[in-house]
Amino acid sequence: MTLLRKLRALLRREPVPTPEEEAAAERLKARFRERCTNFRQLLSANKQALEALAEAEECLRGVRPYGMKQIRSIVTRAGAGVFQMIRRLNALSGNRYPGLMESFSRISARMEALMEHHGPRLPGSLVLPLEQISLAELSSVGGKMANLGEMKRHVGLTVPDGFAVTASACALFMQHEGLQEEIDRRMQAAEGKGTEALFTLSASLQELVRTAALPQTLTDQILEQVAGMKARAKGPLRLALRSSAVGEDALGVSFAGQFHSELNVQPDDVLDVWREIVAGKYSVTAMTYRFERGIPDDAVPMCVGVLAMVNAVAGGVAYSRNPVAGGTPGVLINAVPGLPVAVVDGSFSPDTFLISHSHTPEILERHIAEKPFRCICDPVEGIQRIPLLPEEGRKACISDTLARQVARLAVVLEEYYGEAQDVEWALHPDGELVILQSRPLSLGETGEAAPSSAVPEACALPEPLLAGGVSVSAGVGRGKAVVVRRDADMLSFPEGAVLVTERAQPRWATLLSRAAAMVTEAGGAAGHLACVAREYGLPAVFGLKGAVKVLQDAGDITVDADAARIFAGYPEGLAPAAPRPNLMEGSPVQERLKQVAQLMVPLSLLDPSSPQFAPEYCHTLHDIIRFCHEKSVDCMFGEEGDFAAHQGKQLKAGAVLQYWVIDIDDGFIEPVRGSVVDLSNIRSAPMLSLWEGMTAVPWAGPPATNAAGFMSVVFESTMNRDLEVSTATRLNNRNFLMISSTFMNLQARFGYHFCTVEAQAGDSAHENFVSFQFKGGAADGQRRILRAHMVRELLEDYGFRVDVREDALFAVAEGYDAPETLLRVMLLGYLLIHTRQVDMIMNHEGRAKELRSRLERDMARLAAAARARRDHEETAQTPVRE
Amino acid sequence: MRILVVDDEKEFLSLIEKRLSRRRMEVRTADSGQAALEIVRAERFDAVVMDVRMPGMDGLETLRQMKQIAPALPVLLLTGHASLGVAVNGMELGAFDYMLKPVAINELLMKLEEAARSGGAS
Repeated sequence: MTLLRKLRALLRREPVPTPEEEAAAERLKARFRERCTNFRQLLSANKQALEALAEAEECLRGVRPYGMKQIRSIVTRAGAGVFQMIRRLNALSGNRYPGLMESFSRISARMEALMEHHGPRLPGSLVLPLEQISLAELSSVGGKMANLGEMKRHVGLTVPDGFAVTASACALFMQHEGLQEEIDRRMQAAEGKGTEALFTLSASLQELVRTAALPQTLTDQILEQVAGMKARAKGPLRLALRSSAVGEDALGVSFAGQFHSELNVQPDDVLDVWREIVAGKYSVTAMTYRFERGIPDDAVPMCVGVLAMVNAVAGGVAYSRNPVAGGTPGVLINAVPGLPVAVVDGSFSPDTFLISHSHTPEILERHIAEKPFRCICDPVEGIQRIPLLPEEGRKACISDTLARQVARLAVVLEEYYGEAQDVEWALHPDGELVILQSRPLSLGETGEAAPSSAVPEACALPEPLLAGGVSVSAGVGRGKAVVVRRDADMLSFPEGAVLVTERAQPRWATLLSRAAAMVTEAGGAAGHLACVAREYGLPAVFGLKGAVKVLQDAGDITVDADAARIFAGYPEGLAPAAPRPNLMEGSPVQERLKQVAQLMVPLSLLDPSSPQFAPEYCHTLHDIIRFCHEKSVDCMFGEEGDFAAHQGKQLKAGAVLQYWVIDIDDGFIEPVRGSVVDLSNIRSAPMLSLWEGMTAVPWAGPPATNAAGFMSVVFESTMNRDLEVSTATRLNNRNFLMISSTFMNLQARFGYHFCTVEAQAGDSAHENFVSFQFKGGAADGQRRILRAHMVRELLEDYGFRVDVREDALFAVAEGYDAPETLLRVMLLGYLLIHTRQVDMIMNHEGRAKELRSRLERDMARLAAAARARRDHEETAQTPVRE
Repeated sequence: MRILVVDDEKEFLSLIEKRLSRRRMEVRTADSGQAALEIVRAERFDAVVMDVRMPGMDGLETLRQMKQIAPALPVLLLTGHASLGVAVNGMELGAFDYMLKPVAINELLMKLEEAARSGGAS
């Protein structure tokens, strides 16, 4: 106790405390400080948990895609925050609520179960020869290999010799020496956003997988299978390793071009190439695709087919139905000379045949392209491109007879599987037709009439810039034409531009979510990129000669994919159709977020006076958050407990007001004996600034100091019945302040939650901050969101960093000196009072604007006045030099 | 403020050392749990920032032993391992909080100040 206080006590003729009493008082004070620390940490955890919840709600609204990484992060942050709140509350209350931890354990166990990896169960066969594979093995060998086995065993078609390295093998590899854990860790910790960061992460993950150790048993089994193939092969054996994704059917996605294949591989290299293909799961293209389609990584085990390489003289892809909306019905065949790889990777435009859909097919259309080269197997390894003489290139690469034979096969396969098929075929040098794969054909949004073909004839369109090529995905799209030639161009590709490339290579798939439309000079409807474009509903025209040169500097263009033509600018009468499909909708990632959000977000504890406001009735994290916050305020400010001396004092400013002040250190000028503290006895600079702001401008609403309570008027409920019920409860109208000379924490009632203002304004600027947070409120959802956004804009002008998620707002300004910090506290005080009306008028645009500019004006005036006053005081204090 | 940062990733250590030093923090680093325990036995710190996944002695075991050496020293777990179970384990072992990488430097600073102020209130 200071000498001054002793003197004061003497003057008031109060008894001077004995040393024992003083020691006891000091001990009590120390314990009290600890309580304050606990309370502040509880509030900090409260903020963290609410932020995570708001992020979950924002994701569920589905504005942007999100991945499992973000969901895991949300779950961990929310759970950790709630755990901290429980711990702090129990420290504060003398462990009064042990049931909370039980409720938390129950909820978090279910949350964790939802976050577990859903990989294949071990053990299972690591390798399976094609003879033993049918559709029943789909989940262990992937769609490609299951279908190949099925066709060999049950349809009696010719397929290459080979075997599958199963999902179990992949899982064993990923578990070996903690590979999956390291991948997860790197993904979670990856810094930065955007394409560049993704490239860096992808490179690091692929390198990790390529160089990871293989389990010995896997090595042995793969090599044993290859030895068997060698023995059966007629000539020297070369291999084709092809990824075979699991879940194409289950997930309703194509994975077209997601994973790479390696052709003409030396048998000795099989282990390295297998790892290479597994690593392809983390290619930029594949990661982007999964992210945008909401497919968790663990839903895509990498199965790999190891097949004997067919040194085809011609090959291609057959679609049992024309996949382009509005196109002529029939079987569509794309064919190239040499290996069929040139079709799928869109290197050049193939020969196309449109053939009637029947067992006795007729050729309806035939288009023979100019083919610049053919791909053949290099005698050592890999693929060689052999240039074709112009007259060779202009020849049809397959006969009409073979084309009809391929078409019949496609129809047979469609009948066998009961749905349209996408068949990759090759012509063996000995004349035999070999099936390399058959899978369901993704038809995209077909069936509906293409929107722009309905453009009335009367609406005259200008002369197109370009016309021709193949419409591979219907619709109209427009934007700035941007030519992409190399990977580096991908980094600078702007949102909403039209993607223009020479060739339709699968790697450009990464850009499709950002593009408005796509135009290529080469490539056909059967390529991987075309598949992805249809999936994304992206209008695309392929094989448009001279497109790069013409569109290079064309600026804004409109792509009319329905009619395969390009216009300069945005001609009237040709507008993009309905918005693109929300690819997250119904995806497994969204499904998992929905499930886990059910355990986090809903709030059922509404009324603190109800007997059900108890730990055992906490069903979600939100319930626990609400309970902890309510009870912690109770503990700190309530009338029970051994801290009567430090109990909150009711504030008097003219009248006695409905809010309670706790001095955590030196916030009062004089010690307060009774239960009321007068405003004139407050030393806390931040509290005085807040007060100044709250009272600076008369408020047009009901008197601010009426009996209903000062702050509760500010945030009183206008809409919600549940709030009305609880107005009767003991603490409901109260608002709470913790103060010291340089610190203030305000907890003000705000709907189901408290609104918090906290400020530290001392001598060291780097410790100073002022923060403001609220969530929800009384009005309906849309108006709450609008209010949060308006408050954000107002605060950002004063250097606050503001984060708005749904209806929650978190604002902080830090690092200012004390006067500038206090100025911001004052502005918050002003806003607290004057945003009261915002709820009510937020949906009248005109009045909302008017209110906003009035708030802006007032804040500017208050800030200017405070600064002027400060300058004046400083000048007055500075000794004038002669 | 004196901070000890424990992480097996050298790149992360040098980056965070640079960033925290710029904010007037005195930073010591350790690239393993074992090394961190040695340092904590010999020197005083206001707070520790520690990774969870580390080869050899992992973060949770290091935390357990560190709490025996210096019970009041606040330890902040900062990790790329987004697991609620591990977070709860860590906090039950006495971690001040569990934060996920990547973390904004301001957020880390505020948490460190909170931790240092608590001086082992947990």
